[in-house]
Amino acid sequence: MAEMINLTINGKKVQAPRGKTVLEAATDADIYIPTLCYHPALEPEGTCRLCIVEVSGSLRKGIRVSCIQEVKEGLVVETETEEINKHRRLLLELFLGRSPDSPYLIDLAARHGVTSSRFLTGESNDCVLCGRCVRVCRDEIGAYALCFVNRGPDRKVTTDFERLSEYCIGCGSCAQVCPTGAIQVQDRGNERKISTWGQVFAKFKLERCDHCGTPFAPAKYLELINKKAYQPKGLELVDYICPECFKNRDRASEKRKASALRSSVVKWSVPR
Amino acid sequence: MDVQTVDKILDKFPDTTGNLIAILHEVQNHFNYLPEAELRYIAKKIDIPITQIYSIVHFYNRFTLSPKGKHEISICLGTACHVKGAGKILDELKEKLEINPGDTTEDMNFSLEVVRCIGACSLAPAVVIDEDTYGDLTPKKLTKTLSKYK
Ligand code: SF4
Ligand code: FES
Ligand code: FES
Repeated sequence: MAEMINLTINGKKVQAPRGKTVLEAATDADIYIPTLCYHPALEPEGTCRLCIVEVSGSLRKGIRVSCIQEVKEGLVVETETEEINKHRRLLLELFLGRSPDSPYLIDLAARHGVTSSRFLTGESNDCVLCGRCVRVCRDEIGAYALCFVNRGPDRKVTTDFERLSEYCIGCGSCAQVCPTGAIQVQDRGNERKISTWGQVFAKFKLERCDHCGTPFAPAKYLELINKKAYQPKGLELVDYICPECFKNRDRASEKRKASALRSSVVKWSVPR
Repeated sequence: MDVQTVDKILDKFPDTTGNLIAILHEVQNHFNYLPEAELRYIAKKIDIPITQIYSIVHFYNRFTLSPKGKHEISICLGTACHVKGAGKILDELKEKLEINPGDTTEDMNFSLEVVRCIGACSLAPAVVIDEDTYGDLTPKKLTKTLSKYK
């Protein structure tokens, strides 16, 4: 077992395994710290700065970014000091300046008492440039379909040369981790379109479920699952079950058992 | 696509991943910009995702994805130059060349770009054309200077 570290968060004594971040320790102790670029499935990058906290004790007194600050024995953390709240409100105002129409952001800002922004530009985009989509595509999926381009106010998320991506596999993870819904996955008939920044950046034909015949996932995505989840276990993916049929295992079970016996192949489903 | 040239450049760098920026510089120096086909070729060859390269090319002002003119004009709009009337020089440039900053003239002779302080404040307002700096400019002096670059 990992060595346990003792620290204090908002006056509460907390224990966390060595290597955990202050944010994780706080979350485990039911202490809320606002975040935007942090996602539990991703390596933290510490770019949005919403999760700042005040530290003292075993670290020099100052402001740290809690999603990348590791816990330390004897650390004293305050998550809501006047100064922290002041900085947070300014950050939220800035974010609101670029995404004034994002319900997610409006709500997050309102929870911190920010209901208007001095930084409105007349333009509005729901993307807050948190980078979660780029990171999930790069680090978890390994497709490298998305990237940031430009700098400053022109920064945006797009694909290589801002055209339909040949690297996107259509998994939709980017949309799943996007806090504001700035990436959309649209399935119509047997076609999937993924878009952001007003640009459709990937298009796919959806493969049909072998049981009910409903189109449900792009072939490239199924290939990846086969390669990552099944082949390392010496298995091969032979037929497709959509999430609906998977839920209704009974209906599929006979057919499943038969083919499982035949080829000792695991049946599987694609989460959407 | 000019595979030979790109290969020759790549061969100069034993550590291609670590030297990506230097490689891009050489490619741009050769082609005068960074052509898409060549970039895609490099990505495949040195096994760096094209999105990473595309991001980097976008990050540095020095890199360009469209062909630049024969001569590159950088006009300074830094504080000193601004105070000394760089705005008028820029207007004159736009009118004379019929382009906006970031663009290239139709005859591909000039590209225009705006920069912030080139460390020549004592010469304000200043303009750099290719490697040469011109200071204390007036619209009239500018016209004369430009005519040297036909
Ligand atoms: S599209 Fe969504 S996930 Fe991607 S950077 Fe913008 S807000 Fe973050
Ligand atoms: S959540 Fe920590 S910096 Fe964004
Ligand atoms: S402001 Fe133009 S050179 Fe410094």
